[in-house]
Amino acid sequence: MENHSLVPRLIARPEFGPFVLLVVEIAVFWSFNHDFLSPQNISNTLAFTVELGLIALAMTLLMTSGEFDLSVGSLFGFSPVLMWTLFNSGLTSLEAGFVAALLVAAFIGLVNGWFVTQLKIPSFLVTLGMLLVVRGTALFVTDGFPQRTWSAEGSWLAEALVGDFFIGPFRIYMSLFWFIAAAIALGYVLTQSRTGNWIQAAGGNPSAARARGVNVSGVKIGLFVLSSVMASLAGVISSLRTSAANPNSGTGYELEVIAMVVIGGTALTGGRGTIIGTVLGILILRVMRNGIVLIGVPGLAYNIFIGAIILGMMALHSWLERRHQAGT
Amino acid sequence: MAEPLIRMTNIRKSYGRVQALEDANFHVNEREIVGLLGDNGAGKSTLIKVLSGAVPLTSGDIFIRGKKVSLRSTSDAIAHGIETIYQDSALVTQLSIARNLFLGREPIKPPRFLNRMDQEAMNTVARDLLKQVGISKNIPPTTPIGSLSGGERQAVAIARAMHFDSDLIILDEPTNNLGVAETQGVLSFVRSARDSGHSCIFIAHNIHHVFQVVDRIVVMRRGKVVADDIDPKTTSVAEVERIITGMSDKEIRDAITDGKPSH
Repeated sequence: MENHSLVPRLIARPEFGPFVLLVVEIAVFWSFNHDFLSPQNISNTLAFTVELGLIALAMTLLMTSGEFDLSVGSLFGFSPVLMWTLFNSGLTSLEAGFVAALLVAAFIGLVNGWFVTQLKIPSFLVTLGMLLVVRGTALFVTDGFPQRTWSAEGSWLAEALVGDFFIGPFRIYMSLFWFIAAAIALGYVLTQSRTGNWIQAAGGNPSAARARGVNVSGVKIGLFVLSSVMASLAGVISSLRTSAANPNSGTGYELEVIAMVVIGGTALTGGRGTIIGTVLGILILRVMRNGIVLIGVPGLAYNIFIGAIILGMMALHSWLERRHQAGT
Repeated sequence: MAEPLIRMTNIRKSYGRVQALEDANFHVNEREIVGLLGDNGAGKSTLIKVLSGAVPLTSGDIFIRGKKVSLRSTSDAIAHGIETIYQDSALVTQLSIARNLFLGREPIKPPRFLNRMDQEAMNTVARDLLKQVGISKNIPPTTPIGSLSGGERQAVAIARAMHFDSDLIILDEPTNNLGVAETQGVLSFVRSARDSGHSCIFIAHNIHHVFQVVDRIVVMRRGKVVADDIDPKTTSVAEVERIITGMSDKEIRDAITDGKPSH
């Protein structure tokens, strides 16, 4: 008999733990400081959350296929630098510079994927090397200085990516809609499409997948490209919103993004992933960063909490996994 | 006589200087369960790996229904209707039974550009198949493979081979590490596969399991097929053991009682 009782099924879902944690987190911060749920604070938190979130969504699929990408933070910094450099030098329009930045990112993803699947080098090493190459290029091209970013005002690209408007008291950026669209699309791909089945199989048992005719290398290369392009897009969005293109921006984002994904319940070892969990993981970490500052804990203590959350969630997931394997 | 389903002639396979297969000749008829026996290193696994496309042969020919084929990869072999079920069968533990059954051949719901799996169809077929291979418990097709027992996993792998009409199902040690009841289950899946028109090669260390299920026994020794027409109904286990070890009656007795007081 299939299990029809709703409550145990909800609890058994990998997203349940992160969901409870998020609710508790919000309740605690709100009880300390009611401004935590003020429209202004919510708007501010959301603006940057969705930018990191775009990267985390793509990383979820990549990690489900058994790989991960450390070069996303460097692309987050490099892509806007490339776009603004092309535009400032008069070589291209802003829009063409944007397309060029995405194409370069796609190529970098392709190289990552090629090294991992064809030369069989672990993605940790490949993308670590790529991180240094990309970050180094960004610093070299700019001499380490931020690029000029004025005159994006009124460009349709800026409007489409980060145009803002008010819904009631909430200031909403267009990037929120891109994030929601990406979450729905990638969630659909992972759970409903046949590509999603291949992604999970590629991470769970690659030789079994290959034996069934699944193009495991193709799947992984595609996801490396997706990861790079999303990181690039996130970097451009952030740069347009803050009117800044700093070659150093995005430093350390790769680890924060991976933490978001695993907190949400995606397995670091591949084979199992959840977009809903990742969305919760994104919110958990960003709410934590914001809430800690609001309730007066020194910002420098932030990492203590993040580390504790990661350890706690990993313990919970491993416990759930063992129960799951035992067939209960 | 009709062409057999599979015929392998003069198969040689060497790993460097080691000759794993020396002019092995082997065939499987339609609707037949062949038991492949031999001591460790006799060449059973190598023969199976050649037939399942996992390793290339050094020389020799493989014919399927009289037509010569070359099997360069496991997916090549699957395309030719040869499915191999290894001990830790080729399933993805994180995925459900239904998703494993259809991995790589998922049915798509129209409109096709949405690339959406038809999960209801997959579940329906999976439910039927599980019944067909005789899984007694009522396991929903959405159960992940990871929470199934060893015997149930074998059953899912056999069900997959049956559904995609593999002509030949190769089972490599399918009864290892299984309990008595589970072993009987797997043996009955093998029989139901044959009864629905499939051929099987059955490899097991436990000769008694082989005797319970096969139509014909083939014995290998030192890379060669030394007997290929043993009828399990008219031959004793002891006799087959003699052929496997290549020893005479007396030699076996001596080997068994070696160092022990005889009684």
